[in-house]
Amino acid sequence: MNTRPDMKLLLFNLSALVDLGQAVTSAKEYADRMKTALYVITGMFSIPRAALFVYDAERHDLACVTSKGVSALTDARLSHDASDLEGMPHNEPVTVRSIRDTGWFKQNAEILGRIDATVIVPLYAREEFIGTIVLGPRLSSSRFLRTERDVLQVASHQIATAISNARLFAQHAEQSAENRRLYENMRGIYHDTIRAFSTAIDAKDQYTKHHSFRVGNYAAAIAHELQWPNNEVEAIYVAGLLHDIGKLSLDVDLINKEDPLTPQEWEKIKRHAEVSYHIVAKIRLPWREVPTYIRHHHERPDGNGYPDALPGRDLSEGAKILALADSYDAMTTDRPYRVRLSPSQAIEEIRRCGGTQFDARISSVLFRLIERDQAEKTPPLPVVRHTASETAMPLAMDPPWRIDA
Amino acid sequence: MNNFSLSLTTSDDIVIMRPRGYVDSLGAERLDEASCEVLGQGRKKLVVNFSETQFINSVGVSILISVIQRSRESSGVLCFTNVKQIHQEVFELLGLTQHVKVFREEGEAIRYLAQGQQA
Repeated sequence: MNTRPDMKLLLFNLSALVDLGQAVTSAKEYADRMKTALYVITGMFSIPRAALFVYDAERHDLACVTSKGVSALTDARLSHDASDLEGMPHNEPVTVRSIRDTGWFKQNAEILGRIDATVIVPLYAREEFIGTIVLGPRLSSSRFLRTERDVLQVASHQIATAISNARLFAQHAEQSAENRRLYENMRGIYHDTIRAFSTAIDAKDQYTKHHSFRVGNYAAAIAHELQWPNNEVEAIYVAGLLHDIGKLSLDVDLINKEDPLTPQEWEKIKRHAEVSYHIVAKIRLPWREVPTYIRHHHERPDGNGYPDALPGRDLSEGAKILALADSYDAMTTDRPYRVRLSPSQAIEEIRRCGGTQFDARISSVLFRLIERDQAEKTPPLPVVRHTASETAMPLAMDPPWRIDA
Repeated sequence: MNNFSLSLTTSDDIVIMRPRGYVDSLGAERLDEASCEVLGQGRKKLVVNFSETQFINSVGVSILISVIQRSRESSGVLCFTNVKQIHQEVFELLGLTQHVKVFREEGEAIRYLAQGQQA
């Protein structure tokens, strides 16, 4: 209990260094962190007046970021004289008495006088000049002991490093924001292009206008409900928009033929999945899985689909989603050879084909979405609002995706 | 998380400030702001009762130095009371006690100030 006073002081200084560490690494705003850091220093050495100036490379001067005990220092700036300041020892306290004859002191005498500066500490981090701490006289009027000078040096280095890190972080954040802007621009261009293709695909089939947009939307809604990450939901949406791109190679009369198809005509129609795949695979899309989803959008869990007749275990969840979204839209829109089914009739049909034509788990997700959509609408809207009409389809690149039954 | 609060009471022309909890962050600047307001109103006798103060760190000391500085600049009289031993030692080491009168109990400080600081 009889700890010597200088030992007690050292203990207080060490605990203050811990305070400083917490202050400069806290999640608070930069200004608050700097203010707290200066308060730690002024508390540690009982200094009523002090200020922290940070080097502004653009203006080539020092801006006051925080001060204590001095009014109207908020916008104060100190000139920067590299020959004077940068010749001083790094992060070590320098008495103002020893620099009174320098040009730097004379240029800044008015502001330094307001703080009643007695000690300054030039701040350096990674050999880079960061700024200056300016300290007024101590409450006790005593000089800094050797150990106190050492502690002040450690504290100053810590503050310099914190400021340097904050700058690097700000530069990084700015670069990230710029990259994000570029990415969003690119993403917008991709989507515009994909929509243009999609419009061209749908324009070929007078009965299934907006089919690709609806399939994309339904598929995205299912994937979103399955808690897919946003980027993958976007991928399945794009797959929906492009899944029938291979139909561009087919004759318009064949696509819109009302009479039953001949076996040869049916074979031609079936080729569109593979043709779509080959077209899309050549595009360097940011979503790697899109071509595969498209290739397999007519596959079935029982292995009786096309073009590869893969069994359910070899099909990706995305391919199963796309197949279901495509079939649901086909069922609920008028076709040359039959009238559309209502959503509840479509649910029955899908349920009947569960496990053979459609994946049962994914089907149950679709049913839930349809039921939720219908529950939200009173009175219910017509079964399909888009068939052979000019109704605009949702063109959003982002959620909320919905089953617009 | 801010574990600091401040209560202010008056006894005649004496203002008593009771910082509660942790005087260890910028939240405790309320103490400095309150002393600024009080001194600005021309009330120059201040008592800081630390009986409900659990912890004071370097940031807290810095805030107390601001209170001392304001009081000095306004020619006020500042008393600290109910200071825990560990805080008392820090105040002495840092020279704060050269500028404030320290009393064991609030009542002693009030009597001292009421008698025109003759004690």
